Amino acid sequence: MKKDPNKGYIALLGWSLNAIEAAENFDRRYVVVAPEWAEEYCQKHDIPYVPWNFERLNDRSMEIAETLQKMGVDVAIPLYEETVEWAGAVNSLLLDSPRIYGQSLLMRDKALMKRRAQLGGIRVGIFEEAHDKEDVVRFLKRVNQTLLKLDGDPNDPIHLKAFDKAGCLGHRVIRTPDEVDTIPEEEFPVLMESHLDGWEFAVEAWIHNGKIAFLNISEYVTLGYSVFVPASPELEKYRPQIVAQIEKLIKAFDIDFGLIHPEYFVTSDNEMYFGEVAYRPPGFKVFELLERVYGFNAYQATMLVFDPKTTEEEVKAFFPKEIVDANGYAGCFGVYPRRRVVSKLEIPEEVEDHPYFESHELNAPAEETVTKRTAFGTHWGLIYFKGEDAHTLRDLLKHQEELDFYV
Amino acid sequence: MTTYGPTQDANETPAGNDKLVGLLAKLDEATTLLTNSREFAKPAKLPRVFDTARRVLLQEGGAAAIEARAQALEEAGVFVGSDWETPQYLVPSLTTHSLKSTDTNTVVIEVLSELRLLAVAKGDYLHPLISSEQAHHYLTQVLALNLSLLFGTPSEAERESQGRLAQIPRHLFHHLADRIGYEHIIDRLIDEIWRILQQRPILVEPVKQMITQIAICQANPEIDLGVSGQGADRLVSSLFGPTQACREDPGVEVYRERLVSMDSSALQSEATGFARAMHDTGLVSPYHTVLLRHLLDHSDHLLSEALGLSSTGRDCLLCYHELVHALIRAGVHPTTPQAVYGLTLTLERGILYQPPVAPAMWRQLGLSLSEWSKARLNLAFGDSVSPRARLVEGVLCVLGLPLGVGQGNNPTCQSARALSMWAYNDPDYLLQMVAWAARDDDIIMHFEGMPLSSMASLSGVATELPMDLDPVSLIVVPHLDRIYAEMVRRCIGREGDPHRWVNPEFHGWWSGRGFRINVDVATGQLDELDAFLRHFYASYHPYYNGNQPLIHPQPAGIAVTDSAARFIGWHAITILRVSLDPDDVMRVYFFNPNNDSGQDWGDGIQVSTARHGERFGESSLPFEEFASRLYIFHYDPLERGELAEITQQELDRVIGHIHRSWGANRIPPTNLQASMGPEGA
Repeated sequence: MKKDPNKGYIALLGWSLNAIEAAENFDRRYVVVAPEWAEEYCQKHDIPYVPWNFERLNDRSMEIAETLQKMGVDVAIPLYEETVEWAGAVNSLLLDSPRIYGQSLLMRDKALMKRRAQLGGIRVGIFEEAHDKEDVVRFLKRVNQTLLKLDGDPNDPIHLKAFDKAGCLGHRVIRTPDEVDTIPEEEFPVLMESHLDGWEFAVEAWIHNGKIAFLNISEYVTLGYSVFVPASPELEKYRPQIVAQIEKLIKAFDIDFGLIHPEYFVTSDNEMYFGEVAYRPPGFKVFELLERVYGFNAYQATMLVFDPKTTEEEVKAFFPKEIVDANGYAGCFGVYPRRRVVSKLEIPEEVEDHPYFESHELNAPAEETVTKRTAFGTHWGLIYFKGEDAHTLRDLLKHQEELDFYV
Repeated sequence: MTTYGPTQDANETPAGNDKLVGLLAKLDEATTLLTNSREFAKPAKLPRVFDTARRVLLQEGGAAAIEARAQALEEAGVFVGSDWETPQYLVPSLTTHSLKSTDTNTVVIEVLSELRLLAVAKGDYLHPLISSEQAHHYLTQVLALNLSLLFGTPSEAERESQGRLAQIPRHLFHHLADRIGYEHIIDRLIDEIWRILQQRPILVEPVKQMITQIAICQANPEIDLGVSGQGADRLVSSLFGPTQACREDPGVEVYRERLVSMDSSALQSEATGFARAMHDTGLVSPYHTVLLRHLLDHSDHLLSEALGLSSTGRDCLLCYHELVHALIRAGVHPTTPQAVYGLTLTLERGILYQPPVAPAMWRQLGLSLSEWSKARLNLAFGDSVSPRARLVEGVLCVLGLPLGVGQGNNPTCQSARALSMWAYNDPDYLLQMVAWAARDDDIIMHFEGMPLSSMASLSGVATELPMDLDPVSLIVVPHLDRIYAEMVRRCIGREGDPHRWVNPEFHGWWSGRGFRINVDVATGQLDELDAFLRHFYASYHPYYNGNQPLIHPQPAGIAVTDSAARFIGWHAITILRVSLDPDDVMRVYFFNPNNDSGQDWGDGIQVSTARHGERFGESSLPFEEFASRLYIFHYDPLERGELAEITQQELDRVIGHIHRSWGANRIPPTNLQASMGPEGA
């Protein structure tokens, strides 16, 4: 698309073909900042590109910010968890605002993040950092004592999460002290949280000038397996409360612009608990689901709210109206093989023949033996559904858990 | 933009149509996404196009819909970066592999490419790289090469490996044949049918389907076969109207009425006509069964004429008059016509003279089948006749055509070989097996003194119950397969190849207890090749074994190779006889339980099934060529003679064949042939 020189110049931190394609088809100038292995590809396809190795943190780190500044780049957008603090560092220079870097560090550390939220008057569950297995056992015991469990009662589980990984990566559920032994040493330190029984959901909120420009609620059918947008009417009922929560979050984290992706619980007593928040596009292809139902490209939306030259009017014109403009419900399910030994991919006929079934991105199995699933978030690929009715879609997604896609 | 001929659309159900319309909307959407995406982003958009196209192709009318969209799909970029991008270089013979691939995308892209070329051939799509004539020629070849996909239903094995995917190439070929025209493929098809019939398989359903297709084409005034299809007359008439009185295929009821008013000379002429057709093709018309049942009330002379019996068969018929009549009443029905051919050849073999066989046949006639056996037979063949009649037909066919047994598309060559061997060598034992399996759902065999029950044994080689089999195999093979697998399990831990012990115990006392293998089981390398071959010559080659013809059929193992001489797998066969062919070439005649034995094993080795002195169902190869694919044989240890003094040249020729094919990667380092050079290791 023809680029508008009066609008912002954007750097995308990290390699995402979908993001690049969105940028190609958008009126902002852009440049991809990615590791050197992307160079040949970018040259071949005329993709503007600056090489950078995000794993290397040293005293040359300012270099990338200065390079981008010299190029005239206005803002950097993190595409992955690992580039969030890089974007913070770059943007604090580009936008001359040191506060932005500090904010990005908060977003990268789940324990710090929770404390900050707590300080901002947001409810969070019980949480603590663990440095070794003993910490985990102690926490498990204490949480269950607090819940007045006697010896021999089944424990309430606790959740373990890596401090700095995206979404479900490294997320484990621990119920008994025995299970603690299964955690590899190298995963420590971790964040531990008490288990909240309730309805878990995520939010994608595009923020411009400190205000919510568009807020989507993504309903999890089963955490780590399935999600759909927009949320069912039952969950959308909470929208006013959720908007209030997000506004609190914007205030607590002092967020002026960008895309945030927090997770919450609603417990049975209608109380909202903050889980965590990320400052980057969500996993599980929620962007694609949003495009399916609302028709706007969520990467372009992100570029729009990040760009300091974007006007209020442009933002207003870009986003559709939540819920009312949605054309049905779109969801996806992350397939994980249920058998220990698999030889081929076989989409069940009932799935393929369902009118809601759209497409899948599963591949034939590369190995026959399935590694034991130790943590969430290691699905083998997604299948996409879309349809008119939220409940049909929700039940359909739930039902997928009982099916074998790999046999 | 495209006009359609009489395609699948005609028999579409409204519901199916709705589904197709919905899917096409999704396909168009996915195609648009692909069209509009930048070149670098196309790979990410392709899977959705392929997957949606796959689902469209599963629907009736899907192929036509894709043909209409062929140009749009190609322009969107579905072929970019693949071999299909340059259709002028595509090789028709590769389609036989790609269409049977287990990889969904390979099948779909191949089918999309064919439909694109169809649009080109029909002049609806002007392609920059390939002309309409070229496309037409290419598609004709593809059709002829994949006839089984056009007429056959998916085999169990295809279903196993491809699942629902197996339907897609079939939908494609029906559509292609409708649009390209059957006349271009019919002659090729006729040759193929004769080649298969020369092997006299028991299961003739696939062949009948092909012949029926030809008959339909011939009868359809809209299909212009031109000069092709001339050779089909005998095939079509043998099924649908072999004699004067049923020439116009009047239906069995009308024919039965006509018989009533015939005098004996008319009946005689009918009988001769049927017998000639049956012996020409190995196929039996349903009208033939009507005549046979009618003749039960006439003289045995006419019956003998109707079966086309020689003096041997006629003697047998007269001697066992009552049994034969009972067999016809029980097993010969319009829906079990092949029973006639089976009965004929059973009589010709004279096996009824073996004392236990006739009483065993009486047992067979009165056998009460287990519920499981009845259910299996009904499932596989339908319930137009009773399961018992179906089994009688099967027994007659197996006894009459022991070499017509096929394994279907199942990994059960061992069991098929055993069944065939018993029918050939020990029919009484076979009948016993059938009785146990069909009546008791259990077969007990002994392995080194230990009884093995098929019911108690857990699993066989085949993971699913095979269905594409003749009635006897259908009932007996699952039992044999489990027992065979159990015997192999009992050999776990023994050094060497388990067939050494299993083959003699499984097949019968006449399998030699002596055993030779030329592959080292632990390393997979060739082992003592010279001694192995000399020993094989000494045991089997009449010039080296004192001119002793082979007495009993012997199990043997061969390394099957493909037409490029690449190793495919180990396979069980039976060595039947070794003798000079009409051209004075020493040949090994063997039984291959594989359904179609006329295979090209590469490196110039083409297995022959006719015209080299083969009897029906036999395969043959010159002795040297056979020896070069052999890896296991049995011999009688008491008759072990000197290793054959064959010339080094002959030995080198055989070893050359081995090293150029399945042995290429199995040459042990110490046994390097000078001529092979260092790359031989």
